[in-house]
Amino acid sequence: MSVQTTSVEATIRRYILESFLFTDDESQLPDDASFLEEGIVDSTGVLELVMFIEETFDISVEDEEILPENFDSVTQLARYVHRKKESDPT
Amino acid sequence: MEQQTKPVKRCTRCILPETFPGIHFDEAGTCQFCRRQPGPEKRTERKARLRARFEELVEQIRPRPGYHCLMAWSGGKDSTYTLWLLKKQFGLHVLAFTFDNGFISPTALKNIRVVAENLGVDYILTKPRFDLLRQLFVASIQSDIYPPRALERASGICNTCMALAKGIGLRLALEREIPLLAYGWSPGQAPLSSALFRTNPSMLRTFLRAAMAPLQKATDGKVQPYFPQERHLETAQEMPYNVSPLGFLEYDEASALRRIEGLGWQRPQDTDPNSTNCLLNSFANQVHLEQMGYHPYVMELASLVREGYMSREEALSRLKVAASPEVVAAVRAKLRIPHRWRQQPPGDRQ
Repeated sequence: MSVQTTSVEATIRRYILESFLFTDDESQLPDDASFLEEGIVDSTGVLELVMFIEETFDISVEDEEILPENFDSVTQLARYVHRKKESDPT
Repeated sequence: MEQQTKPVKRCTRCILPETFPGIHFDEAGTCQFCRRQPGPEKRTERKARLRARFEELVEQIRPRPGYHCLMAWSGGKDSTYTLWLLKKQFGLHVLAFTFDNGFISPTALKNIRVVAENLGVDYILTKPRFDLLRQLFVASIQSDIYPPRALERASGICNTCMALAKGIGLRLALEREIPLLAYGWSPGQAPLSSALFRTNPSMLRTFLRAAMAPLQKATDGKVQPYFPQERHLETAQEMPYNVSPLGFLEYDEASALRRIEGLGWQRPQDTDPNSTNCLLNSFANQVHLEQMGYHPYVMELASLVREGYMSREEALSRLKVAASPEVVAAVRAKLRIPHRWRQQPPGDRQ
């Protein structure tokens, strides 16, 4: 895993912990925990996540990209951000 | 009537109390939500972007035949004002619908009839069978059917009503191929991030599963008919956009009230100060306060204060008004809440 991946994951993880779980206890958020199934993030929360991702990583999230496979865990979200950055490095 | 409460530490900028989940204050007594709040310039920029996107969408939709917009209309002040905006300011052909939870104030029902006639909109009222609603409301207060996060912005009972109203609305929009589904959430009720969005079928299936699960569990699967079915998602030509216009348009409560009063809308006298349509709200708030230790409207009111829509004093005063004992007693009787199920006095839990 690259340093960059770790940094993206860490940023996403910190945001979820602070904004949705109100804790700094990292053990409460396993990398693959499903945001929606475990009630960590609701439908409104997913849209907050979209705005956070767009503003933090300077990428544009298209409606059709808001999929469970992109937005349902720290690992999936970090992978999605990397794919987007690679496809549009500007 | 004012509710007697013990002093509670609150954020010095908004009104969030020390009992709110995960809250922490800095040395100045400011909560993390206020500290993280984007500056006014950033908020103005976000709103302008959303408004421009919405106006572009309206231009695309307006030439189409049929209904342009399905409005989830509770009959309360914000959704009534939103209905006026969509019809008169944006020139949309609107179909309005109300989910009747069995506790709509008679004044609100009269408002709906009068305003629908004066504004010239088509209107549908959906009233699910009351025995099912009662089962859901009782489950909402007697078991932990919602995760704590869902209860930060609304009581368990409100969550149940919102899930049903959204499910019914989405199903109607899909069945009638209406491209826009509008809500009258106040700027404090819905974050800016969810003021305008469209969900694809894949994500929608996940959202629907999550929204329906607690209700299905509480009713042995009886709520399915109120939500979109797989066939709706499979055959839909396009998914509707969801919009909460008050999130990004100019919003001033006094002006909104003047506007809708001009349409014949009257403020109900039997609801609590945080609702202008629902008699169940007082009871739902009281139960939430008792169970969770904070008022279910405190996050919404804090957001309104933070964004400059309401003064801190006004927000605090809305938390202090106690529910009418007569209204609460009538709700308990209609829900058949047993007397042995008792709430503790509100005390310092607000």
